[in-house]
Amino acid sequence: MFLSGFGFHLVELGHFAAYLALAVALIQALSPVAARISGRPELARIGINASIAMFVLTTLGGLAMIHAFVSDNFSVQYVATNSNSKLPLFYKVSALWGGHEGSLYLWVWVLTLYTLLVAIHGRKHYPDRLPMILAVQGALMVGFFGLILFLSNPFLRLFPVPPDGRDLNPLLQDPGMVFHPPMLYLGYVGLSVPFAFAMAALITRWKSEFWIAHIRRWTLIAWGFLTTGIILGGWWAYYELGWGGYWAWDPVENASFMPWLMATALVHSITVQERRRMLHTWNIFLVITAFSLSLLGTFLVRSGVLSSVHAFAVDPGRGAYILAFMTIVLTVSFGIFLARGRFQEAEEGMTSMLSRESLFVWNNVVFTVATVCVLIATLYPLALDALSGAKITVGAPYFNAVMVPIFLAALLLMAVAPLVPWRKANPERLKSRLLVPAALGLAAGVVMLVTTWPLHWTGPVAAALIAFVTGTIVTDYARAVRQRRVQHPGESLLRALTRTVLGNRRHYGGMIVHLGIIAIAIGLTGSGLFRLEKSVIMMPGEVVEVGSERLRFDGVRSFQRENYFTLQGQFTLLDRNIVVLPERRRYPVQDMPTTESGIHSTLWRDVYVVIAEPVGEGNQTKWGVHVYLNPLIQWIWGGGLIALFGLGVTLSSRRRTVRDAVAATAAAS
Amino acid sequence: MKAVNKTYLPLSVFICGMLLGFMSPAWAEPVQEDPLDRAVLEIARDLRCTVCQNQPVAESNADLARDMRQIIREQLVAGKSREEIVDYFVARYGDYVLMKPPAERAGLLLWIAPPLLLIALALLGWFFLRQRSHAPPPPTPVLSAQDQARVRAARRQQD
Repeated sequence: MFLSGFGFHLVELGHFAAYLALAVALIQALSPVAARISGRPELARIGINASIAMFVLTTLGGLAMIHAFVSDNFSVQYVATNSNSKLPLFYKVSALWGGHEGSLYLWVWVLTLYTLLVAIHGRKHYPDRLPMILAVQGALMVGFFGLILFLSNPFLRLFPVPPDGRDLNPLLQDPGMVFHPPMLYLGYVGLSVPFAFAMAALITRWKSEFWIAHIRRWTLIAWGFLTTGIILGGWWAYYELGWGGYWAWDPVENASFMPWLMATALVHSITVQERRRMLHTWNIFLVITAFSLSLLGTFLVRSGVLSSVHAFAVDPGRGAYILAFMTIVLTVSFGIFLARGRFQEAEEGMTSMLSRESLFVWNNVVFTVATVCVLIATLYPLALDALSGAKITVGAPYFNAVMVPIFLAALLLMAVAPLVPWRKANPERLKSRLLVPAALGLAAGVVMLVTTWPLHWTGPVAAALIAFVTGTIVTDYARAVRQRRVQHPGESLLRALTRTVLGNRRHYGGMIVHLGIIAIAIGLTGSGLFRLEKSVIMMPGEVVEVGSERLRFDGVRSFQRENYFTLQGQFTLLDRNIVVLPERRRYPVQDMPTTESGIHSTLWRDVYVVIAEPVGEGNQTKWGVHVYLNPLIQWIWGGGLIALFGLGVTLSSRRRTVRDAVAATAAAS
Repeated sequence: MKAVNKTYLPLSVFICGMLLGFMSPAWAEPVQEDPLDRAVLEIARDLRCTVCQNQPVAESNADLARDMRQIIREQLVAGKSREEIVDYFVARYGDYVLMKPPAERAGLLLWIAPPLLLIALALLGWFFLRQRSHAPPPPTPVLSAQDQARVRAARRQQD
């Protein structure tokens, strides 16, 4: 009795903490303004304490919500709609971000976490600009807390209290879905940090060399989380949705992909600014666009504009607020950009058309085109429907036709750029260095063409480019290792190999990321072009053949697990004597079926089995069965891991900024 | 006791089924896919299930998708070609039913925008690079004597 009473009060405490957070966020956002108006610069320092308070208050609210979920407090409307007493504990916690209100709360929670980290980091490295950075993030928090508290409040109560909850959407009761949204949000919100830096830089006319190194690291971190989130989402779709694929170019997927594309362009062009003092305004433009796209992504998915699995709520008030919020963010940020952008000027010119920096400009062209294409194709059907009532569908076949050539262009740049030095390349030397990898690529393309004829043109081209990129990276690395062995003759090969990487972590970290992307490209090509599938109707004991794999259908059994009934089919891979167990689950609370595909993976191919519906009755029951042979799909997930490892290597390099050196001198004298 | 029986019944049925399964030789003739089914799915892949959320007819379990697959099957049996079947659905549902928008009417923009964009941005990039490479570098800012002393001190600190 005491405990339940305690729980009731805890929710109100969390609710109160959220209101308090809104007030503190206002203070955080306005403190530099107050300091300016009253002429008391020390007022701006309030922002630092406010950011700590923000994190504490938001955490309090979040923990109160989690407590409500774990203790089955169905007097909370959000808990009653998204949880159930029989839901496993693991999913009760993750149900916090299973619906609209809670996922917005998670968003703002992550934002307060980042703000706290920036505050801690900034007190040492950029104390004079910190208040403005925190103020920008505070303003974003005001916007989000306003939306949360007034239009989609997860703390609202329900009376009379229902005896049990309506359960979490069964599709979300999966480990992949537990980690996918937080990772994605860590990526989306991570982009708010470069955004806040860029805004602060514009407003306070902060010189580029002082902030560029920080902004780069934060962007890389956000990029890493976005990549993880997107790959986790694909992995979840692959084994949970049961259609044999992992990426359907669904609007919600595109919503997460656009910020990723922009962030990818940004991590490249920001290096140009750092190394060659160019593209300052363009980079700020990219930062604003990337963050705006992650806002758009959050809102597209969460506003119910798109009706798809991810959209849970449709509410006109919410839509209007979101539209207004987006408009304000875009107008204010681009307004400041236009008014102050000219103070962030490039300091150097392009030395040659054939240089690393010029190729990075081409990289930016390719990724910007990719982003705009996805944006148009995602929003155009919505706009068309709203304006003229005409309905069209822009499905996966369109995106594949448009995006694959763009990605191939990106691969071509990826093959050439690492060999081109900064400032000015020597065309003769470049030619001789490209010779071997290019020949390798050509050979791979021809082999692919001959062995798999007839084939879509993208196949051989992709194979050629993949071999070209790999060749470039490997020969470049081999050259560096050889050089090192000449300089350090006594060193063992292994030591020379690792020392070369550790000696230039930024470069080789980036190359490892590229190898990860290449592994993903191999997986996409293999599974995209060489997938085999069969849909058959089978009786227990019968055998189906797909490619070189033979599967025997052994039968089905049904039983009950924690909170669902399952019908499990058993298939034996005859050549290996391995059993795969696809399932059809039914969650009684929402009376919703889900599929769980049976997958046997090797490095070369996945055998993917889905059990469909029964045909006929009694002893003669037959089952619809879909079998897919997906070649090389594991390379996609593996490539993601390689890319993250490479990102870690890049981030592990520490470079002292000018600011640190100056601070150190000041301290010494 | 009753609960025990409940769990054992399906299990025993399952084991019997398994044993029956093992009796069939592993080299048995594999089940063949109905070629008509394949043809239906190939067409259904490019049609949208109009009541679903961005799902092709081939992958949807909605009643409408089922009906549409049945119509495709009937028309295939009746000897209709792929184009005729697709046209049949377009006549009823409009372009909305096509997973890939047509390069005409409202869909035209989607097909001309990407190449135009690429050309426009490539030209922009080209002009930017040209202009930057001809531009004289801005004058090197001169530091005050005091700043120069600080930089020197910082450099010494670093070494």
